[in-house]
Amino acid sequence: MLARRNTLGWILLTPTLVILFFFGVLPFLYVVFVSFHQWNPFAADPNMIYNAAQNYRRIVFDQAFLNSIGVTIAFVVFAVTSQLILGYLLAQAFMRDFPGKAIFRTIHTLPLIMAPIIVGSVWKLMTTPSIGIIPHYLDEWFGITMNIGTSAFAAFMTTVIMDIWHWTPLVTLTLIAALVSLPPDPFEQAQIDGAGKRQIFWHITLPMIAPAVVATLFIRLMDALRTVDEVWMLTGGGPGSATRYVGVHIFREVFPKTNYGYGSAISVIVLYLTIVACWLLYVSMLAPRNRKRG
Amino acid sequence: MSVAFRLGASALAITMSATASFADGQSDEFWAKAAEPYQGVTLQGVTESSPPSMFIREVLAPQFEELTGIRVDVETTSWDQMYDKAIKDMEAGTGIYDMVYIEQDIVYAYLARDFLVDMTGALEANADLKAPNWDEANFTTFADYFRGADDGNLYGVPMEAFIKIYLYRTDLFGDPDIQAAFKEKTGKDLVPATNHADYAEIAQFFTDYGQENDLDLWGTTAQAHTGHPASWYEYYESVAPTFGVYNWGIDADNNYAASVDNGGQMNSDKAKAAMTWWLSMRDIAPPESPASTWTEVGTTFAAGRAAQGLVYGENAGWISSDETKSKVVGNVGVALPPLADGIMDEVEGGTGYIGYYDGGAFGIPSSSKNQEAALLFLQYIGQNEVQPDWAVAAPRVTHTATYDDPKVQAMNEELGGYYDMLKDKGYLFAGAPAYPFHAQVREATAPIFYQMLTGDLGVDEGLDQMAAKAEEELTNLGYRK
Repeated sequence: MLARRNTLGWILLTPTLVILFFFGVLPFLYVVFVSFHQWNPFAADPNMIYNAAQNYRRIVFDQAFLNSIGVTIAFVVFAVTSQLILGYLLAQAFMRDFPGKAIFRTIHTLPLIMAPIIVGSVWKLMTTPSIGIIPHYLDEWFGITMNIGTSAFAAFMTTVIMDIWHWTPLVTLTLIAALVSLPPDPFEQAQIDGAGKRQIFWHITLPMIAPAVVATLFIRLMDALRTVDEVWMLTGGGPGSATRYVGVHIFREVFPKTNYGYGSAISVIVLYLTIVACWLLYVSMLAPRNRKRG
Repeated sequence: MSVAFRLGASALAITMSATASFADGQSDEFWAKAAEPYQGVTLQGVTESSPPSMFIREVLAPQFEELTGIRVDVETTSWDQMYDKAIKDMEAGTGIYDMVYIEQDIVYAYLARDFLVDMTGALEANADLKAPNWDEANFTTFADYFRGADDGNLYGVPMEAFIKIYLYRTDLFGDPDIQAAFKEKTGKDLVPATNHADYAEIAQFFTDYGQENDLDLWGTTAQAHTGHPASWYEYYESVAPTFGVYNWGIDADNNYAASVDNGGQMNSDKAKAAMTWWLSMRDIAPPESPASTWTEVGTTFAAGRAAQGLVYGENAGWISSDETKSKVVGNVGVALPPLADGIMDEVEGGTGYIGYYDGGAFGIPSSSKNQEAALLFLQYIGQNEVQPDWAVAAPRVTHTATYDDPKVQAMNEELGGYYDMLKDKGYLFAGAPAYPFHAQVREATAPIFYQMLTGDLGVDEGLDQMAAKAEEELTNLGYRK
């Protein structure tokens, strides 16, 4: 009986596995294969030439790549942390009733439905020096000169704020779902026992929504690590290399430079680093809790 | 006049001229007969979304379909997307596209990879497909960029050609009060500059003038984006040559040397003087300049924010004539770029060039499955007869006869003599060097270049690093031994 049920399960799963193999596993294996080759179609020899692990060796000494990793980490830390904090606060706000809540919640969610390339274009219009509304009012009201073409700090912070604006609604929605599903009993019990708001947050709310927080963190972390479109439109990776995040770096290496072999090696390394980062987060945040339960 | 209006008017004009050609019966008979074997074929093209390409899509393609029954779908997209799509298709040999836009600077890479169909050879082999009015001699010398180095055969039909010129505001340069103020300040007459020192003096004067009079006016444009290749191009195509640094400072005949130590010019004193001058211009240009590509430079000039600047010819057209987009219509003059001492003699003598001859062609990928039908279409857009309306709708000239058309001569007046300059002085300008590694060397050196723009690297150190990086990349690519 069990064997027959397993067979049926595998039959039903087969179409999905086949699609996954052809569109997920196979391309990945091809990228790994290419990463062990020197291949630039516009080189003197345009053919693929096997060069063992030379591309991976080169990555370790590639200052441009290391720089892109550094700015990407800074971007991820600033953007994702801010999104989690803001998202949680907004989720708590939306748990209460207030006038115009429905309208505010709709407006707050609108950035989510915008394509990243559009977000980048809109922010470019808003921040272009002397034309954009943001530098205009910063100058008029506060006497602050903002030029994302010359200031590395301004460009970096603008990309961070743009990402926060775009993706905080996703965090809010996820956390609202988590908060709504919490049972009221532990909170009532804690209040009867005299627990303060801060104690309730640290000892009841946060542990109970931790799986949702970690899941959201994983999604945002992976998204932020492969940010390309928005930043490409807004700054092109500049000024200098100030916003040349690793996704932009890979794009430039693979597309305009057509350095397929080396670009593939960087992609594989970045995938590996992303998996490691997620694993570390899982180990530090969820595994102890799961062990305790077990 | 808006581009949309021009396209509409051009469609009408070409319909009328096509009707007129029906009268003699020869031309349309050829197209209909030659196209008979290809009924039901749909040609797919990909090109940059620019006015000349829009004219192909909106005007020429429907006309061709009406004459031949062959449908032509032209996909217009962004510059980088166009390359991405075309190169992937040709690299993989999928045959999605029957026509691709070939910008002058990438044609050498395409030819090196045998990506393109030899049009001359194909028409010789298929004489039935050769239109009676097709003659390669109709093209200007710009077509030579699309000929094979070995066989001299044509691999693309030129469809746009511009020079990057020195634009200046005739209303400002001709204002008696401003002229007097300039004379008082500098002791010179206010006329378009012929050398870098004069250009800088005029630029500084107008930037100061804008500040003193609380105007949104600066002395020069600068295509100085700190994260986009447009700035790299402005320096290597338009500024460095005016100081005598040609072909990016790389000596192809000397083992692709870039550094002075090895015989190149990329970090020479001339190159450093050029970069220093250009950065000083950037500093007194409008604040948006560090975020400006070629498009934004055109917009800046059209908004009346700069008194002078180096502007691509494709933008010069609409800046001078399109009232729906430009505030300076009727107030634009054209001149040759400012030059260092001795450069004009050098160029007239056959060495080097003074600026960039920009443009592109439509070619047929070797992977196309409809090469014969595509040959017909490319001949159609390469006819002398369709050129004048195209030149009026989207200022570009690729055929010698176009200059003499009354419509084009009227347009020349509107553009401040731009077509005259293209015709008479075009030989002083040059396209990108014949390198098959164009994007590769640019991308390898650009991050260092951007650091110079942000001030993180000095000019001397930056250009030294760029020369070394260029040689390293050329070695990796196998061109430098």
